[in-house]
Amino acid sequence: MTVTAIPTNHQLIEQCRTEPAPLLPLLHAFHERDGHLSEEALREIAGALKIPIAELFGDVTFYHHFAREPQGYGVPRVCTGPVCAHRGGLELLEALRETGARPMPCAGRCDEPVPVLRGGELLVGTAPRSLVTKPSPIPAPNPGGIEECVFAHIREPGRATLQGYRRTGGYEALERVVRSGAPADVLAAIADSKLAGRGGAGFPTGTKWTAVADAPGTPKSIVCNADEGEPGCFKDRALLDHDPHAVIEGMALAAYATGATRGFIYLRYEYPDTFGILAQAIADAEAAALLGDNVLGTDFTFRLYLRRGAGAYICGEEGSLLNSLEGKHPFPRNRPPFPVTHGYENLPTVVNNVETLAAATAIVRRGAEWYRGLGMNGQAGTKVISLSGDIRRPGNYEVPLGLPLETLLHQWAGGPEVGRAIQAVTMAGLSGGFLAGKDLDVTLDEPSIRSKGSFLGAGGIMVFDDRHDMIAVARDAMAFFAHESCGKCFPCRIGTQRITERLAGEAGPTDLSAWIDEVADLGQTMKAMSACGLGLAAPLITESLLKYFPKDVARHVERTGHDARGDR
Amino acid sequence: MIANPTDAKSESLTLDGKEVSFTPGETIYEVATRHRKRIPTLCYDERLEPFGGCRLCAVEVEGSRLPVASCTTKATPGMQIRTSTASVEKHRRTLLEMVASENREIDVDPLRGYASQELSTLLDRYDARTGRFAGAQSGSSRPDDDNPFILRDYDLCISCYRCVRVCAEQEGDHAISVMSRGFHTQITTEFEGLLKHSACTFCGQCVQTCPTGALADRKAMRFAHLSGETKQTRTICPYCGVGCSVDILTKDSTMVGVLPAMDGPANLGALCVKGQFAWDFVQHPDRLATPLVRGADGELQPTDWDTALDRAAEGFRKVVDEHGRHSVYAVASGRAPNEAGYLMQKFVRAGLGTNNVDNCSRA
Repeated sequence: MTVTAIPTNHQLIEQCRTEPAPLLPLLHAFHERDGHLSEEALREIAGALKIPIAELFGDVTFYHHFAREPQGYGVPRVCTGPVCAHRGGLELLEALRETGARPMPCAGRCDEPVPVLRGGELLVGTAPRSLVTKPSPIPAPNPGGIEECVFAHIREPGRATLQGYRRTGGYEALERVVRSGAPADVLAAIADSKLAGRGGAGFPTGTKWTAVADAPGTPKSIVCNADEGEPGCFKDRALLDHDPHAVIEGMALAAYATGATRGFIYLRYEYPDTFGILAQAIADAEAAALLGDNVLGTDFTFRLYLRRGAGAYICGEEGSLLNSLEGKHPFPRNRPPFPVTHGYENLPTVVNNVETLAAATAIVRRGAEWYRGLGMNGQAGTKVISLSGDIRRPGNYEVPLGLPLETLLHQWAGGPEVGRAIQAVTMAGLSGGFLAGKDLDVTLDEPSIRSKGSFLGAGGIMVFDDRHDMIAVARDAMAFFAHESCGKCFPCRIGTQRITERLAGEAGPTDLSAWIDEVADLGQTMKAMSACGLGLAAPLITESLLKYFPKDVARHVERTGHDARGDR
Repeated sequence: MIANPTDAKSESLTLDGKEVSFTPGETIYEVATRHRKRIPTLCYDERLEPFGGCRLCAVEVEGSRLPVASCTTKATPGMQIRTSTASVEKHRRTLLEMVASENREIDVDPLRGYASQELSTLLDRYDARTGRFAGAQSGSSRPDDDNPFILRDYDLCISCYRCVRVCAEQEGDHAISVMSRGFHTQITTEFEGLLKHSACTFCGQCVQTCPTGALADRKAMRFAHLSGETKQTRTICPYCGVGCSVDILTKDSTMVGVLPAMDGPANLGALCVKGQFAWDFVQHPDRLATPLVRGADGELQPTDWDTALDRAAEGFRKVVDEHGRHSVYAVASGRAPNEAGYLMQKFVRAGLGTNNVDNCSRA
């Protein structure tokens, strides 16, 4: 009989204390061991890391998934995101009520609803008895037969292992680059490729890497933003689950190019399987001298650490992410200064999305010109679109930038169910609001989508067919933003709340023009004055609702007025 | 005058159409207020690191798509700044209407604290008491916290976090923090306990920086019902040797409170629990108003100063004659002013000839 000794507080603390960014792993270690974060545990951690206890307490309450009540860690969390809510999520939550089940925002399994997080396990299913653990879906072969970048090898068997990755030239780019000793060539290739950030903001990657390379101060860091919290986005999960070494190689290339010596992958809490896959991939790469001290026997050193969030959408915002890593309250940072000069621990830092880093690996291997050529209609490169909702073949699709949206929806993904019509689609997950009607004729690239007042962002598209009440869809979307608003800046903290109340019919004018005035004023001030992307983007929900569905809005306000007056 | 070569070079920018100079490192807000621009703020306290939360101070900068928070943005050479365009002023008014919508009440007694009128003043300036954006209210008060100093009336909180920041940055106490997020953020102590069970030292700095009166001076609030104008008198805190400047608040002849002096050279607005709250002795009924001497029956009797001082001198002389000058030890009261402390040591050293003198504030 083997007896696994339960680690003592001291042992848990000693495992983490000397590593960089120790707070999150330490909190997770206590959370998992004890089933919750007790007062005693927090006092131990605060003492060990010299964090004032009031601050640590406040920080812990910020994260959705840290349980403060005993046994809270193992309580099922059921996804009630925009897609899952209409795919059995609400019914499943109800069926699991007696286990204490709680709702959680979109957990990034929109292509295979409904995900349920139970302790360290991710289960999928729509009824309590049919919940199973299974690997996340692998992207289907490209329906357009178009050459891909980040998905080019993802379907090869064993691709997630080091051996499988090396079978088709994995880590050759890194090896060639570190032996050639020419970091400037890497910077030039990335800049020349026109690769722009694939996490949503679209900042030119080459410019970012060059700024970090040029910035004074060491040690520099590479941070992979894998906190894929945007509802309807699950592309980073696919890349990390099925091609983790491509992302790791991209980080190592970024490190070599910029002079960084340490890296962090900040992974969202809702991807426990991905955490295991990444931990294994990092260990394998270290064992093969592809990471760590003296990579491939050269004097290049790059130590990579895996960190896990705890349920906070805002931690996908780079300033919040860096604060979270550093063990601070995860409010966004004021910009400028930017992370390229004042990032992790106020030192030069590249913060890149998973897909950006995977693309960078391919670009260094195959060249900038090749990458640029993958786009359509003058757009450079590709973008992974996470498509979900009322569509026959949901999933991740790598599209050439510039592909018509209609082609993706109807030819690639099979269109809506028979007899149904697409009423609206979201853009940038939820952050881009809705597109509907004639505006569905956009092409998948920023200039085209921005011309409609929306944006492509991280590439999540959720489809809503004609069965949906768009007011309810908008209400749930705004409720998500209100739930995830960090509370730092006034326009977002109050605005998301007030708009949600109005969409829910809980407060606000019962006169249509006054209702529209209030909602528009809230939105305009949020769009101008908010401190980060959350508050700046959230009003696109109501802006697009008013643009495409004015009659629904009028009916909603009228109904609210009736309810307020007690009419039938 | 010859410039000191280590002086930072002065640069210039355009502020509302006028070229003005600034010192590198200054924020837009600092430059603008120096030029008497009245930029509204709610999360700003000049003693604290700029936070960028309330967004009221946002200004337009040429080349920037969106307004930028002037409190967190450094001035740069050639910048073209517009501090009060129609568009920015409209957003400020909307923001203030939003803030007003989340609170139970706006008008609070000025005795609540130094900055307690900031929100109501701004709402009036922007004519923002429109009642728009009605909805749920934020913040939960803590009537259970019955400490005698700080009222925690969080129904009036607007989540500017000045209290949390002054506690951490100025005091180093880190007694309070921000709990939860979004509209449900709440100022808390460790594990939502009472202040007396936290690291709080009851210095009252959180009270004085609160722009809405959500945190209030309970000692002063006892006199809120007194009618009459409140007068401020600048003086020095009578306690320890730091010499903090304070403004004593009075209504007629009643002392009703103490405000820290933001321009006090020794304290720059800081006070401790004693200077801030421990002034009950001034008006305490037990306070001696006349000298007392013990009569033949052993009871204390009121008398005049000459009689009392003669009796004291006689007693000291007797002790020194019998046991020597080092048998006397004097402790000056921390509640006496510095001048009295000086006289005490002079009396002990020069009068009695010993160095046995101390002050209770030394500990």
